[in-house]
Amino acid sequence: MPGIFINGEPVDTGEHRTVLQVALANGFYVPHFCWHPELSIVGNCRVCLVEQEGRGVGIACNMPVYEGLSIQTDSEPVRVQRKAMLEFILLNHPVDCGICDKAGECTLQDYHYTYNGETARSHDPKLRSTKFFPLSERIILDNERCILCSRCVRFTREISKSNVLGMEQRGDSMLVRPVEDRTLDDDPYSDNVIDICPVGALLSCSFQYQARVWYLEPTPSVCPGCARGCTVNLWHRKPEWRLNALDRRENTRILRVTPLENPRVNGPWICNKGRDLGALIDRPRADRALLKGRRVSTKEAIDAARELILEAKSAVALVSSWGSNEELRAFRNALGDTFTCFVKSDSEPAENEVVEDDLLIRADKNPNTRGAQSLFGTDAPKFAEDTDLILIWGEGVDFGSLPRGVTVLFLGYWLLPENGHAEVFIPISVQTERRGHYTNFEGVVSAFEPCQPRPDGVIDAETLFPLLAAPPGSPA
Amino acid sequence: MPGRKVLMDFEVTADSHTLAAYRARGGYEALAKALSTMQPREVTQEIVDSGLQGRGGAAFPAGRKWQGIDPDDGQPHYLIANADEGEPGTFKDRWVLEYNPHALLESMLVSAYALGVRHCFVYIRGEYDMPWRRLDAAVEEAYAAGLFGENILDSGFSCDLFVFRGAGAYVCGEASSLLGSIEGTRAYPRNRPPRMTVRGLYQAPTVVNNVETLSTIAWIIRNGAAAFREIGTEKSPGTRLISVSGHIRKPGVYEVELGYSWARFLHEDCGGLLCNKALKAVIPGGISSQVLTGKDAKVLTAGEVEGLTLDHEKLRSAGSSLGSGGMIVIAEGTCMVRLLQIMLRFYHHESCGQCTPCREGTGWMHRVIDRIVAGEGRPEDIDTLYYVARFNDGTTICGLGDAAGYAATAMLDNFRDEFEYFIEHKRSKHGGNLECQGSS
Repeated sequence: MPGIFINGEPVDTGEHRTVLQVALANGFYVPHFCWHPELSIVGNCRVCLVEQEGRGVGIACNMPVYEGLSIQTDSEPVRVQRKAMLEFILLNHPVDCGICDKAGECTLQDYHYTYNGETARSHDPKLRSTKFFPLSERIILDNERCILCSRCVRFTREISKSNVLGMEQRGDSMLVRPVEDRTLDDDPYSDNVIDICPVGALLSCSFQYQARVWYLEPTPSVCPGCARGCTVNLWHRKPEWRLNALDRRENTRILRVTPLENPRVNGPWICNKGRDLGALIDRPRADRALLKGRRVSTKEAIDAARELILEAKSAVALVSSWGSNEELRAFRNALGDTFTCFVKSDSEPAENEVVEDDLLIRADKNPNTRGAQSLFGTDAPKFAEDTDLILIWGEGVDFGSLPRGVTVLFLGYWLLPENGHAEVFIPISVQTERRGHYTNFEGVVSAFEPCQPRPDGVIDAETLFPLLAAPPGSPA
Repeated sequence: MPGRKVLMDFEVTADSHTLAAYRARGGYEALAKALSTMQPREVTQEIVDSGLQGRGGAAFPAGRKWQGIDPDDGQPHYLIANADEGEPGTFKDRWVLEYNPHALLESMLVSAYALGVRHCFVYIRGEYDMPWRRLDAAVEEAYAAGLFGENILDSGFSCDLFVFRGAGAYVCGEASSLLGSIEGTRAYPRNRPPRMTVRGLYQAPTVVNNVETLSTIAWIIRNGAAAFREIGTEKSPGTRLISVSGHIRKPGVYEVELGYSWARFLHEDCGGLLCNKALKAVIPGGISSQVLTGKDAKVLTAGEVEGLTLDHEKLRSAGSSLGSGGMIVIAEGTCMVRLLQIMLRFYHHESCGQCTPCREGTGWMHRVIDRIVAGEGRPEDIDTLYYVARFNDGTTICGLGDAAGYAATAMLDNFRDEFEYFIEHKRSKHGGNLECQGSS
């Protein structure tokens, strides 16, 4: 672990091997475009400049550290050359920030204001290139904005290993393109290239022109798409920027999902399924309790459920593997002795979905199977001859597969026909309406926070279970 | 003729390039000598002692490069002859490949022995058809004679050679970019560190030498380092192949002993300038050079050429270098603005696009000079060219960006009045001439 000096301060390099890593780890910011901690070093943007004592200005991303190395990150030669590099990058950049979705979180924009800030020296027309080139159903590419840092190309080669993207042409006509006749649709991780793009060249079709990012804020959450349990940020409008003219739901809608970096689970990546979490949540909600298909108040429904539980001779519960650790504990504490409990799989792989791979995606498409099984065992659901009550918590049960003549108590989220087939249906809150924790398949526990209001008539499962355990007629 | 010879020491006939003719003039003796009487390290030491400098452009001592490789470290090593001679004005390696290919092959065998190399490559540019056919025929002859393959000359030393044809990108002449081309990836120059002698082709230690550099090795081993040192000057021993083109009566490839008088070379050996014009400038070593580290593309004006000798130190002190040996002679009456336009168009076209300053800068300079030539120049354009050139210098991975910058600064430094004239009067001071007009 050699000791080096940055701006005159002694710095311990730790495990890092290049000057850029050491500088960033120790709080000396060195601007960079092409360098990414998870990708190989290419050194092509030429912006991460530092001055090495006695050897002049060079790029920090490929500068090895050695004992006694002395570095200046913001000396005059560095500033001058860095400014020139930014001017080169902007030479053929359209600077259409006003209509660019990246504006507000664009590295080029930030660096320009921080390190350059001047108007263009060139009066020659800028080079034109392709705009709105579709890379897949999900992603469009704006070649004019592209600064050719090659992060996206390296991502598909080194991380997702789909090898879809490459470079065409050379010099200032160079273009990022899918190789031969392939598209990014082949890559279940393709949307990560939107995040790692330092400029607004790669854009999400679903997020395009939806909102300026400075009106949005992220809520940390966990992707329920599979047992990996990637931590994500759910982006929605800031409360202070609420638009009263819009449909109320627009103000709380999840506009995009980005990875929340977590070295223990998903690193800086998530899969495309996780990006579509907003659509998963944005389905019609059930917000009224039902008694034999008839709308009733939640209180009435709870009372009816208490009667059913009290009368049951042999009751089975199908516990949700989408329940949070808190809800699962509440269920065991309140109803664990009343019911014979089995953990069910709420969600199975969809058609055409990638079932499992080496990077993130797991075959088990439920977020908390491990947490549920640690409380209720791993046995597959089975029904005894005399079973007369089945409590179904969450999705994934075909009512037709249940034994004939049993009474069904259903706790669900969505507006579905089978809600009315249950004896009692009680709507419970979804993940974005409550806080909680999931335990992923490796035992890592991640927290999620609420970002949407719970509709009237919907009750948190954690609150509901103790109420169900109480005798009929108790307050609800 | 300009001094003693190393590579052109025979008369070119219809079959002087064949193995039989090469053997008749002492060919493959150096290989036999090295394999039977010398240890690999002794061969390398001989090259170090000879003071041989790289002929590709940077004039880096060949022996020092070789010392970066430990022949006994148990790793595979590779040796590559860089025959991707793409530098405008340079065609000297073409002569070697066409007329003396066995000198290259023998030298590569000796070098492979010295460096512990099992597989050698010749990376030849795709446009070279005749040189490729001659080289390919020579390789076949050598294989048939047992000079390549297993157990060469019963010494236990084995070596194979592959001829790899490039696809015509200028940047592939840059040694590390050439490796990418052979590996089948995009031909991008690579960041140093690591140096190629640490991690090169297929991540193994690799030596890339110019064809002319390598071809000289056999002569040095056959005649000894001391004999080589007697040729040329003290600091630049040996000879250079110089390819002369431009406004000159007898263009072609000449072998020149280093230290030879430049004026004598131009006016006597090459027959003087076309149309009896006066000399305006000389681009001494290709418009940049393949390795592109010195101020290679600096243009020398007529006054500077008089009294100069052809060797590395003298040219370096004059602010230029012998580069890749591609000498372009420019006569009085040539429009330097249009000449620079051609040079900048070349760099713009050939920039690989990897690093920002060269990708954007070469295009920027090209557009500015195009506008000047179209009569739409602005007075501030000269400063813009200087600015772009300054930040192309030393800011890129390889030297192509530097070279484009040198080309512009050298022209502007020496012929600023022509540029100012063009911008002010919207026409060339010399009628836009690039060709030599008048009776020759």
